[in-house]
Amino acid sequence: MGEVNCDGRSTREINAEIKQQIKHGATDILVRNPGARHNLGVAVLEPVAIRLEGSVGYYCAGLIDGPSFDIAGSAGWGLAESMMSGRVVVRRNAGNGAAAAIRGGTVVIHQDAAARLGVSMKGGMVLVAGNCGYMAGFMGQKGTIIVCGDAGEAFADSMYETVCFVGGRISELGTDAVVEQPSAEDAEFLDSTLAQHLPSEVRKSKPAGRSFKKVVSGRKLWNFDKQEWKTWQEAL
Amino acid sequence: MPDDSQPQGRTLQPSGIFQPVVIEDIQTKAETGLYRIRGYGTLRQRRWATFDDLTFLPCSLTRIPLEGYREKCSTTTVLGKRYAAKPITLDIPVMITGMSSSNTTGDGGMLQAERENSKTLVYEVLPSRYGINVHDLRRADAVELTIGQGAKPGTGGLLLGSKVSATIAKQRDLPVGVDQRSPARHPDFLGPDDMIIKIEELREATDYQVPIFVKMGASRVFDDVKLAAKAGADVVVVDGMEGGTGASPAILQEHTGIPTLAAVCEARAALEDCRLYGEVQLIIAGGIRDGVDAAKAMALGADAIYIGTAALIALNCNKALYVADYHGLGTEPGYCHHCHTGRCPVGITTQDPELAQRLDIEQAAERVASFLRVMTLEIQMLARACGKSDVHDLEPEDMAALSLEASAICGIPLAGTRKIFGI
Repeated sequence: MGEVNCDGRSTREINAEIKQQIKHGATDILVRNPGARHNLGVAVLEPVAIRLEGSVGYYCAGLIDGPSFDIAGSAGWGLAESMMSGRVVVRRNAGNGAAAAIRGGTVVIHQDAAARLGVSMKGGMVLVAGNCGYMAGFMGQKGTIIVCGDAGEAFADSMYETVCFVGGRISELGTDAVVEQPSAEDAEFLDSTLAQHLPSEVRKSKPAGRSFKKVVSGRKLWNFDKQEWKTWQEAL
Repeated sequence: MPDDSQPQGRTLQPSGIFQPVVIEDIQTKAETGLYRIRGYGTLRQRRWATFDDLTFLPCSLTRIPLEGYREKCSTTTVLGKRYAAKPITLDIPVMITGMSSSNTTGDGGMLQAERENSKTLVYEVLPSRYGINVHDLRRADAVELTIGQGAKPGTGGLLLGSKVSATIAKQRDLPVGVDQRSPARHPDFLGPDDMIIKIEELREATDYQVPIFVKMGASRVFDDVKLAAKAGADVVVVDGMEGGTGASPAILQEHTGIPTLAAVCEARAALEDCRLYGEVQLIIAGGIRDGVDAAKAMALGADAIYIGTAALIALNCNKALYVADYHGLGTEPGYCHHCHTGRCPVGITTQDPELAQRLDIEQAAERVASFLRVMTLEIQMLARACGKSDVHDLEPEDMAALSLEASAICGIPLAGTRKIFGI
């Protein structure tokens, strides 16, 4: 197993060291003392496992394709942004814009996510064991957002085809967001997804799949209709 | 009895405010319930100072001109000297701006054909992040982080449903036929402080090899350029209000942003103010029509020029071909601004395969290449006449202002005086 110690090194040196170790065959790398530093593990393109022993700053695991990240602490803004494939797990909280614009892969947040979770998602899945802040799912194009706890204001606003599930209370639906009863398949998918991605101690207090609310686009903003001008007027 | 309903023998007197065009606008809005959307850029008859308000002052006795066609006048342009390991070196100071496919990838990501056929290709990272792909990012010669564009600063993109074909929808991960509205803000950063980190991320993703551009619509240019430069941009792109667009609310094209002439002056002043002029390169865009506009922008401080609409016109935009189809759109060759409809009569701004076939790609590419060569010759011609052996040596004192406004904006003496007005 490879190991990179962040202490006393620049971000560029740390990332270069990670990539160098991957180049030399490391498939499992432990990053020590990340110190909430920004841009750790950006653009890793190999199917390696990277564990970070602490909190990370902005854009950790941004622009990745294939690796698996396990972050022991919390993450700053833009966690895993624009990821194409891979898996990113945060053991504590994530800042604004977690999983923003991802095209594939899975992001798992064991505690809470801040505002703008999964905005402009183009695929993949983000699973939050706790609550999420405002504007989660804004302009979501594809992919799946699962929030086991409560969701903040303007939830699922102006979406295209992203599908959202919320286990707790939705503070306020966004423009053109519509609540649906999840199907039996949805409930099964939620149960199996939580079982697959959340450790038992995190999962045990979470609602069953059948009690989640499903939120999708009402499709009223997909094409302009003057009869819906009130909706357009209030669209974010 | 005279018929009062007929204007015979009298001059029609329109309202100064509610002119026929305004009446038509109000009645159309009343009918459709929607703001007007169109392409092309501002249609205003210009009443602000433009590059036409400047004239070059070629050599006579005070300076010695270079011989045209004989003495060397370099056009080599280097962009990204500040931090990038591999700055871009261009043969000419003119590039084609992002328009979904050009020198810059535009919204929707990189096409394979684009990469294969481009010696220099800039990968645009837009707020929408449509088609964002780290592998394409790493294949680019530069990365352009787009904050906004001149035609509609402060708002997101727009692609009407008629143009969201199956191919476009797949490329952008959208349902076929939706009116695609793009976000105005990036999904993962807001202000300039965050952008510092974002730029570092893009450098990490590209191994610090290629230049990072920051592109903005011309708004509060002086402050915005300083913020972009201080955030670590290698190159700042400023797109003036004359910049074009494929589709946008008309009011944004007409009533937002500042003109390109004003923008280049503010941008230069900003870089000088933070002592980064020359270190951070400046690209100017927005309604540049020819080598004259380009040379004037360069004399005012631009290192390179983006053209967009002019390149489309070189392709055949607004040419008198398939005239019946222009009429079908309610327009004429020379007046068409119907890019937003997807029914481009000459097959450029369309996803309709039949219309697209009207554009012979090889011939059209050769026309654009010729136009770029002519633009370059025009810039060189003016530079040589001003005694410069490098087009980048053109400077404000090579010009005089032809209007008080241009004198005040550019800090150049008004022709016939030795005064800079507005100081």
